[in-house]
Amino acid sequence: MTLGRNTAAALRRYLAPQVSPLSSSTSSVFITVIAGLSAAVLLGQLYRWGWPPWPDAAVFIGLVCAGTAAIAWWMQQRILMRHETHVRRLITRVSTLADGQAAAPLPLLDRDLRALAAAVEQAFAQQATRHEQLVRQHRELQMQLRLADAQRQHAQCTLNAVHDAVLVTDVFNQLTLANDAALQALDLPPDLEPNQPIDQVIDDRRLVDLIKETRETGDTAMRRCVEHRRGEGPDARIFDVSLACVASDECGPQEPDAVVTILRDVTREKEVAELKSDFVSSVSHELRTPLSSIKAYVEMLMDGEARDEQTQCEFYNIIQGEANRLGRLIDNILNISQIESGLVKVHRRHVSLAGLISEVIDVMQPQATAKQVTLRFDSPGAYVQVFADKDMIYQAVLNLVGNAIKYCSPGDEVTVAIEANKAAKTAEISVTDTGVGIGAADLPRIFDKFYRVDDHKKMAKGTGLGLSLVKQIIETVHHGKIEVDSRVGLGSTFTCVLPMAEDE
Amino acid sequence: MTTGKPLILVVDDETHILHVVSLKLTNAGYDVVTAEDGEEGLELATTHQPDLIITDLQMPLMTGLEMCEKLKDREPTADTPVIMLTARGASISQQQLGRTSIASVIGKPFSPREILLRVQELLNQPQTVEQADD
Repeated sequence: MTLGRNTAAALRRYLAPQVSPLSSSTSSVFITVIAGLSAAVLLGQLYRWGWPPWPDAAVFIGLVCAGTAAIAWWMQQRILMRHETHVRRLITRVSTLADGQAAAPLPLLDRDLRALAAAVEQAFAQQATRHEQLVRQHRELQMQLRLADAQRQHAQCTLNAVHDAVLVTDVFNQLTLANDAALQALDLPPDLEPNQPIDQVIDDRRLVDLIKETRETGDTAMRRCVEHRRGEGPDARIFDVSLACVASDECGPQEPDAVVTILRDVTREKEVAELKSDFVSSVSHELRTPLSSIKAYVEMLMDGEARDEQTQCEFYNIIQGEANRLGRLIDNILNISQIESGLVKVHRRHVSLAGLISEVIDVMQPQATAKQVTLRFDSPGAYVQVFADKDMIYQAVLNLVGNAIKYCSPGDEVTVAIEANKAAKTAEISVTDTGVGIGAADLPRIFDKFYRVDDHKKMAKGTGLGLSLVKQIIETVHHGKIEVDSRVGLGSTFTCVLPMAEDE
Repeated sequence: MTTGKPLILVVDDETHILHVVSLKLTNAGYDVVTAEDGEEGLELATTHQPDLIITDLQMPLMTGLEMCEKLKDREPTADTPVIMLTARGASISQQQLGRTSIASVIGKPFSPREILLRVQELLNQPQTVEQADD
């Protein structure tokens, strides 16, 4: 309340001369003297009329004059002191108002001071009202400021939660906003100062040019979408970049004041698309190969090129074998697609593993014999049951045995065994071969789709799907586990662990 | 060319294809020697100097195309005509063909009859470059 205090000080200065003790005012002295003289004149006149005898008269006149003067003086002082008190009261009141305590009781004042007091009260009341208004406005503005700040933070948080990189640049191509994803994607420091020119901040020439071009078009109706590559080699990332001019309401639609750039990382999508495309090429090639054989041999038979019965028999066998191979390949592909997309119907029932494995051995025996590989079942008498989809487990074991034979050389052995682990309530199927084995570097990846060990590509054909399918069947569908142990040059053992069927 | 019959080298990593093509050509009166990959093919081409080479495109380690380019660079095999078998959808570009002695491209699945026809054409007539749409 500095205003109040200033007013109080000003008033005090104005009123102070009226409060000095023992008034030096000339008027009061003047009045006192006049009173004395008037008394002297009156008494002189009385003496002339013969009333008090001289020299007593002199004393008498003197006393009366002095008395009159004294009374006049005393009355003056009383009036003055009363005035002084009222002025002090006014000053106190002003000080009270200055301290903001308008509720204190109003003092009693003389009429001439009352006008002044009223004016002072009013002035202070107005000040108080004005002050209250200002305080209220201040509070409102503060709240709005806080609200705006909160909204801004909320917007920033929202943007930071967005996975895509968002950049906002202004008409001068300065970077006004970048969310966390943008800082990361463009290798910008986290404590980046805002409003810096993008030339200096973004090290990506093409991106900077794109933003500048977009701003120059000034077209708020259109959004540009381009593909953009950052970096080289295996660390390169590919982005779908979308740029648009935006205008806030104040500027009007004719004058855009910002460019919003969004970068969406599509590197993974592209990779997947490429993998799929490679897969399709690969599959197409794989399917055509057995088909070629079938067609070729059929034509040979038709043209009579198989000149003796033995050759003819051989041809029929080859045709059948290749047809089967084609069938297996198609099955593998279908199965894996279905399992991956979650569309497969699982028909679980009690399956005797011994019976299933015997079937697999029977089917794969010709292939093993053709390669001069020994294929045997170690525990045909074991009674182990699992609650599973028979066709799927069959397919898994078939793939494992097929692989084992594929990567064996003449003279090698493939052994299948089953074992029940009563304590863990699991059944284990193991397929062991004495073939080429798998290197430590390749081991973690062999279950990946399409993955093929480079050294093995020469040895046997394959899509790289077989093991992937086995893993899906054993782990995803049946909640089991597949493990592999292998040494290059010595062979491999694949073990499938499945939950055992509960005894009923 | 010890027997007087034309010698044909067949290169393919698929045993069945090798078997079928060899049999067809042998039955037709040609001498046939086979290889299972590009390396072996190069070796045999250099040592045996066949009159014609039939090769698959898609083979591991060295593709048929790579083998043909290498053959073109070597003296004895530079002009030996080649028939390329391929299961690939897209044909080989003219530019790629230019760097080799590939005289004919046949798609898989192929017909042994057609192979024989082409072989006969190429060995009895001057080389022409053509693509077979199968």
